[in-house]
This record gives sequence, C-alpha cells and structure tokens, in this order.
Amino acid sequence: MSQLQGFGGFQFDLLERNEKLKEKGYQVPTARKTGTTIVGVVFQDGVVLGADTRATSDTTVFDKNCEKIHYIAPNIYCCGAGTAADTENTTALISSQLKLHRLNSGRESRVTTALTLLKRMLFRYQGYVSAALVLGGVDFYGPHLYTVYPHGSTDRLPFVTMGSGSLAAMSVFESKYKDDMSRAEAEQLVYEAISAGIFNDLGSGGNVDLCVITRGHTEYMRGYAKENERLFRKPQGYSFPVGTTSILSSIFEKSLAHTPSVTDPESSFSMAVD
Amino acid sequence: MIKLDVFQPTFGLDKEEENVVVPKEELYCSTPLAPSLRWNVLSNNAPKDLTKFHHGTTTLSFVFSEGIVAAVDSRASMGQYIGSGSVKKVIEINKYLLGTMAGGAADCTFWERYLGMRCRLFELKNKERISVAAASKILCNTVYQYKGMGLSMGTMIMGWDKKGPHIYYVDSEGTRLKGQKFSVGSGSTHALGVLDQGYQWNMSVEEACELGRRSIYHATHRDAFSGGYINVYYIGPDGWKFISHEDSGFDKHYQYATEKATQQQQQMSIS
Amino acid sequence: MGDSILTYNGGCVLAMAGKNCVAIAADRRFGVQQTTIGTDTTRIFKINDRLMLGLTGLRTDVITLYHRFVQRLNLYRLREEREIKPASFSNMVASTLYSRRFAPYFVEPVVAGLTEKGEPYLCAQDLLGAPLFAQDFVVSGTCAESLYGTSETFWKPDLSPAELFEVTSQSLLAAVDRDCLSGWGAVVHIITLDGIETKFLKARMD
Repeated sequence: MSQLQGFGGFQFDLLERNEKLKEKGYQVPTARKTGTTIVGVVFQDGVVLGADTRATSDTTVFDKNCEKIHYIAPNIYCCGAGTAADTENTTALISSQLKLHRLNSGRESRVTTALTLLKRMLFRYQGYVSAALVLGGVDFYGPHLYTVYPHGSTDRLPFVTMGSGSLAAMSVFESKYKDDMSRAEAEQLVYEAISAGIFNDLGSGGNVDLCVITRGHTEYMRGYAKENERLFRKPQGYSFPVGTTSILSSIFEKSLAHTPSVTDPESSFSMAVD
Repeated sequence: MIKLDVFQPTFGLDKEEENVVVPKEELYCSTPLAPSLRWNVLSNNAPKDLTKFHHGTTTLSFVFSEGIVAAVDSRASMGQYIGSGSVKKVIEINKYLLGTMAGGAADCTFWERYLGMRCRLFELKNKERISVAAASKILCNTVYQYKGMGLSMGTMIMGWDKKGPHIYYVDSEGTRLKGQKFSVGSGSTHALGVLDQGYQWNMSVEEACELGRRSIYHATHRDAFSGGYINVYYIGPDGWKFISHEDSGFDKHYQYATEKATQQQQQMSIS
Repeated sequence: MGDSILTYNGGCVLAMAGKNCVAIAADRRFGVQQTTIGTDTTRIFKINDRLMLGLTGLRTDVITLYHRFVQRLNLYRLREEREIKPASFSNMVASTLYSRRFAPYFVEPVVAGLTEKGEPYLCAQDLLGAPLFAQDFVVSGTCAESLYGTSETFWKPDLSPAELFEVTSQSLLAAVDRDCLSGWGAVVHIITLDGIETKFLKARMD
C-alpha cells in the first residue's frame, strides 16, 4: 500500500532488471533535457528572471515553447536547466514544502529558506538529480538571486546565468550590467542575454520568458519576445476532404453521465496474430 | 590472333570457337580493372561499423521445370528509418544474367555492374556467353579480395547458359554456393517457410511466379525491414523477362485477405 | 539494430487537439525487434469517457503500468466518488514515472482528453515523467521525429471532429510508412463531449 500511496522517495524495484538489460547491450534511453539559457539579474527594487523555451531530446526539439521558470512561492520563482523531470519535480517538491511552511508559520516565505531546502535535497542526491537552478525572489530582506548547482553548491550574485547558453548570456551581462538598474533596463538586459543564448547556443531556442519580482508584486511574462515565429510556406495549411482516409470499422461509444465505475484492466486487451 | 567484333557480338551463336588467347586463370581472376581499396589495408582499420550498416531485405529465387523465378521486395532501410520504399533489387547484368541485392545497396550495384562489364569482356574475348558458374566466380573472387574491408553484400547470380538454368549464392564473406532454392536477407526465413511449403518441381511459370510473390508478401508482412513492392522476374532459355511489379503492403495484403475470407466462406457453406 | 530498449517492441502514438474535441491515434504493431508478432495491439487505453492514455515503449512496461493505473484509478474513484480530471491523471502518471527516476519504466505516455469545459487537454511525458503540455499536438514512439514532421505541416487550429480525424489519420499513416517498427494497422479515437468514436484504419501491412 505504501508503494501505491506514494509516501515519497525513489523506488528501485526495476533496478535489477534495467541493469540486466544494460548488460545485455540494450541502450538505456535518454531523458528529455533542457539545453538551456536561464539567467537572473538584480535591479533597484527586485529581480528579473529569464529563460528560453526549448526542450530537447538528443538532437530533436521536443517542445518549442516549454516553461522553464517554475513557481516556488508567490514571491519566489526558479529557472531550471538540466534533466526536465528533475527540475520540474525538485522545484515542485520545494514549492510544496514552502507552502506547508507558510501555512504553519503564517509568514511570507524567504528566498534563503527555498535555497536551503533546494541545496539540501540536491546535495543529498550527490548530483544524480541533475537540476541546475537560478533562484530569485524578493522577501522581507529585499531582493535575492542565487544559482544552485546539481551537486548542491550555491552562489549569491547580482547577475547569474546557467545552462548550455550561459556563456553567451554571461557575455551580455559582463559587458552591460550596472548596479541599481531601473526595471525597464533590467528587463531589456535579461531579454538581450536570453536572446544571445537563443541565437548563439544550439541547445537553446524558442521564445523569451521573463519573470519580474518586486516587493509584493510578481509579473510572469510568458512569451515576452517571440523571435522565432514559424513562417509558413503554405499559410492556409493543408486540408483533407472528409472521407480521405479509408476505414475498416468504426464504433461509437456514447458518453454516459459521469458516474465513476471500477474498471477491469483485462477488458482492454486482446492479442491474436493474423 | 582472335578477331574482336565489338559491334556484332556473337553471343556464342557462332560455332567457330576455341582460339582463346587469354589464359584461363586470367579470365576468371578478379584483378582486371577492379578499383583499388588499398588505403584501407594500409590504414589498418577495417571500417567495422560499415559491415553493421544493415539493409533489410527479402530476396529469393528458385529453379523449377521451366526455368528460374526471382522475386524481391523493395524496401531500403537506414536503421529503423525507411530510406526508400521503391528500390529495384534485381540487377540486370545482361540479357541472360540477373543478380539480386541484399546488404549494402552501393556494394551490390557497384560490383554487379562491374560483373556486367567483366561478362561483356568475356564475350568479346571468347565469342560466347559466359556461364553462370564463371560469372558468379568472377564476382566471388573479386569480393574475396576485399574481405574484411567492410563490404556487405549477399546476392544470387542467376541465369540460363549452355547447361540450363543455374543459381549461385555469393556473399561478401567469399561464400559461393550452387543451389536450387535460395532466399537472402532479413526476411529470408519467413520467405523460405512459404517457399518450401508451396514448392514443386513441375510448376507452370504462372504458378511459380505466384509462389515467389506470395513468399515475398509473407516476408514483408512479418519482417519489419522488408516491404514496399514485389518485383518478379522469370528466366527461361531466351533470357530473363520482367513479370510483375505489385504493391505488397496494401494491394496484395488486402487482395489476399479478401481471397482468404471468400475461401473460408465457401468452406463454411460446403461443410 | 533495435539496440535501444524503447524501440524493442516498436509502436507510436499521436494526439491532436481540435475545437472541443481531441484525437488520439496509434499504430497496432507488436514486434520483437524485427519480427512482427501481433497486428491487433492496444496501446491506447480508455481512462473515462473524456480521457484516454497512450503508452509507447517496452510492451511489458506498458501493460504493467496500465494495470497499476487502473488500480490507482479504481481506488481514486472509490475515495473521491467522481471521475479523475485530465490534469490530475497526468500528475498521477508523472509521479508514478518519477518515483522510478533512477530505475525507470521504459515508456513514453501521452494523455489526451477534454477538460470539464470541453477544452482539449494534451500532455506528453518522457520516461521520467517530465510533462510537456501542448495546444496543438503531442507525439511519442519509434517514429516521433516523422510524426513531428507530418503533424507540423498538417495540423491547423479549430478543426471539427471530422476534419480532425482526417488530419490525425493522415499524419499518422504518413509517418508510420517511413518507420520499420511501427504500422501494421492503425486506430484513431475521437473524443468529444458526446462520447468516443473509434475508427480502425486501412493501413499498409508491411
């Protein structure tokens, strides 16, 4: 039962089988990664986080518009690079822990709490949970910006970049960053840094997402800039007249009033050879 | 000196024979004009992954009372991706000789074209057609020279010569086998199952062609790396003849399915 | 050849969104590497009247996982006395997969359904349960790249159920014909608020 109810923690019941398969020479599949450009910068009264929107698996772009800026708390957001499943789940886990903490304490979450929870978890897994994060938020003590590495080490800096496009983005920051920028300046700078990643790093692409956090206010700008809108050679698209596809048989199952009923799994199976 | 009439080849019809000046061993050896791949030996690293380049195929041919039938599929796969669904896998070497294609497409087309050249040279020198045995041996000797250097080829050389219909299986390992029935490629096991079951010596050409077709169809159905169209050739005393080109996965499948259904219906009504 | 575990059995799933409808389609091959064993395989499972789950990858894991989900869903129904929402079910799938982060099931699921408002819901995941939400279409399986190509060209917004069926079918059939390990028949389910229409397609059998 505990297995089913999900008391948390990873399960290793398939490990032996999977290792056997590996031994036999079957390639272990690769998980979806985010070859990524993620950045953050501190300005006058808050932080700006930025991310591209490309998710890749090997050389294929699997998602052209994915969300890499994850919600942690109303005043804290976190950009993720690395294995998609890891960034997604790590941030979600910490987010839920912080929510419980807020409900218990009745106070706004602090960025340093999120940071500690994240680095503790990542350190515990010795880098095997491959999440590289940019954590930003504004709390009682003002704006904060951190990077968290997969092994659990952290940095606190006024401007940070992460992911495969971090070098391209950092070059923009290094040449144009100033202390105490206005919000507009900071947005523009982050936009330029992400664009540098999108256009110069093959692992990054798609649109620019921004998230501006100031005291008591968060603005998440999905698709702040869309510089890679698809151009169609045939703008009206293709159309198939109804009846194009030849059908062998067809069944219609009418939707009943939504009454929950228990299913028998065997009913969906049939196997025969012809 | 022998007289070479390039513009009027004799094809062995001329009986004024046997003044061959070219020594026998040179005729069947593999050197003349074969391209050199020496760099490969010198660099001393045979491209192992080249041999792994697999080209899923089903090809078959068999001898029966009236001659030879050859049937092939048309799929060219690059890994699991289907590179082409309409490849010609029967190579027409000359009027009397056919070769099939399995393994690396380039290796097969190139070396069988080369074989065609050698056969023509033979005719010009000897004023008679080359035997299937000799032709297959030229190919075999040639590819044997390149053994271990990455060639990948499994082919059947078929033809009708002085002694009647012959099939030789030749592959890039250097194997050369004479036989009555061969099937080569990833779908060969499936094809042989059907072929062995339906084979008889005394068949009409139509029956033999249909048997070949059906064998290929069943192989394309079961084998992931075979498919596309079925090409059928017949070789008689007057050389080869192209018989048919039919879609295997769609037209043939649903044709056979309806035939089976009507047959079953008839049986039901009888019993 | 066929070295990856995800391509051992072959197969693919495609789901597309229309106007107040979604389509989810799959091929019907069950193979063991290069040999085709069965051509009447089910890899899309009905979760409820408005929700279906497609699973590609290693067949043994597809079956095991489906049974696991049925069990969890039955417990969910008994506890909640209602049907599960698409988003909740996606999370159920994702958390099941992520719990095996370091020893995964070799499957790539696709969840397709309609929300309570009748809006399409599509979610594809990788083998670790990283969700990918799309407004247009999601794919998975051995010919995912080809499916992306065909879907990208054929899909248009706001398709009616009948149009959506054609677009989905043609995208699937075209992609499957370029893949050795998928095909041998196809099935398309069109989910609308009225019910689920299931159509078996006449496809190439090689």
